[in-house]
Amino acid sequence: MNVIEVEGLSKHYGDKKAIDDISFSVKKGEVFGFLGPNGAGKTTAIKVLTTLIPPTSGNVRILGHDLRKDAKHIRSRIGVVQQQESFDPGISVEVSMNLYGLLWDVPKDVRAKRIEALLKQFGLYEVKKTGDADLSMGQRRRLQVAREFLHDMDLLFLDEPTVGLDSLARRAALDFLKEKVKQGMTIFFTTHILEEAEYLCDRIAVINYGKIITIDTPQNLKRKFGQSKSVDFTLLEGSSSDLVRSVEHLDEVSKIAQDASDGAYHIMTSKPEVVIPMLYQLAEKLNLHISSIYIAEPTLEDAFIKIVQEVKA
Amino acid sequence: MNNMARLVYRNLRANLDKASLFFELIFPLFFIFVQGAAVSGIVPPFEIGNGKVVSYALFLAGGAVTLTVINGGTNAGTQLWFDRRHGMFEQILMGPFTRAQYIFSIIITTLIIGMAGSSLVFLFALPVLSGISITAQAALLTGLALFLGTVFFGAFAISLSVALKSSESFQIISAVTFFIFLFTSSVFFPIDRAPNYIQAVSLLNPLTYTTDIFRAGLFDAPTPLLPLEMTVLAVEAAVMFTIAVFAFRRIKV
Repeated sequence: MNVIEVEGLSKHYGDKKAIDDISFSVKKGEVFGFLGPNGAGKTTAIKVLTTLIPPTSGNVRILGHDLRKDAKHIRSRIGVVQQQESFDPGISVEVSMNLYGLLWDVPKDVRAKRIEALLKQFGLYEVKKTGDADLSMGQRRRLQVAREFLHDMDLLFLDEPTVGLDSLARRAALDFLKEKVKQGMTIFFTTHILEEAEYLCDRIAVINYGKIITIDTPQNLKRKFGQSKSVDFTLLEGSSSDLVRSVEHLDEVSKIAQDASDGAYHIMTSKPEVVIPMLYQLAEKLNLHISSIYIAEPTLEDAFIKIVQEVKA
Repeated sequence: MNNMARLVYRNLRANLDKASLFFELIFPLFFIFVQGAAVSGIVPPFEIGNGKVVSYALFLAGGAVTLTVINGGTNAGTQLWFDRRHGMFEQILMGPFTRAQYIFSIIITTLIIGMAGSSLVFLFALPVLSGISITAQAALLTGLALFLGTVFFGAFAISLSVALKSSESFQIISAVTFFIFLFTSSVFFPIDRAPNYIQAVSLLNPLTYTTDIFRAGLFDAPTPLLPLEMTVLAVEAAVMFTIAVFAFRRIKV
């Protein structure tokens, strides 16, 4: 069953096409990633899908309901963590959680239990009496994510939910989301942190200039677009311009660069098994010594950059 | 609890600045107990209609209660600004609520604040207002005046807060405009004894009608113009509310 069905969706602001004729679907229990550079149209897409702004054209069904006709029903079954901060500055964490649960008509006893569990889960229990305005940015973000789980929902929209979180809090939040997905929740997720997308998403849509460029699993995206592997090595001698010149001339090598911070060389190649023996031969010939060498798999970031750059080109 | 009640409760709990509310209560009491008492010594009692003669202290006490209406109105604009500034406006609209419910919840919150504030000021002012008998007609007229006045000024503040780009400009411009409303109305002086240009401006000023209707009820001093004043205030409140709804619908998210 598809939880989100989008056909030919567009959102224009005057001449500017924030979203330009996009189509995709998201299955129940799926984590669907929406990746794109700044201004690609991710947040606009979320605003349309959450009924906050009307589309210019196209058909959208959320949880089986027409976006234009059943907006209120849709909103009653979704949760949204916006990209921008949202909080009530004049009240404490605990009161703000309670009020948010009340807004969603969560019964008092259920609310109390969930608030306690979520405050602990998101590391906010110690600051529950602190005013929202006095929290750090990361704490406010955790509060914003945590309170969304006070109410029941079938579909959760997360617009860069981990911005401002430290790595421990980020991992804890992602693991919590994974657990929710196991329980049947569907998640529509945007992020700039590609490791996060790879960790969480079943499928990813890459969007740029308002258009979807490709949709696939993270593994397939890496296979299709992250073709080059990186052979990373260091020399006992530090650096050698002769070696760089020789490697550059090899047919199997597309690029060689040295990392200024640690002096390591990175060779981009689709045939590391050919390049490595040749590299050793060249080093021996130039009387150089390779102190470490390994093959780095292509990352989702490599694939993402290639996809976006191909569209620009 | 239904959607509206939940939103109103949330507005009251989350958006009200206690320090501002305290000041809004103290402000009218200051006029009643300081200015009213002080000026009474130099202004002889005068007639306000229906043959009723009151002291300046009593006259001002009536005006000071309606002053809370304008303060309540400022609150409506501030609530909207708070929610927009801190992202709660969008968050609520992505929840199980409609825009109409949200704006009505702000108006109802404003009415609660305005009515509760007026009642409190009225209670505190009872020593000055001794001898006043509250009849059913008085309760109806004073209640109607406070209701319509709060709707007008709440809607006015909402329209202002939508039109202005920053909370700072909202605070400054609302303070200036409310100052103008205040001093071109009958809150501080009988408007029929003011210079012609002030009288002319006061004819458009809803605070004049709010105060006149309130005093007519409070002092059992209706004038032949009272039905007309009630009609004008009702029309002004309805028009301003309509403007606020249209302005609100234009908020970009």
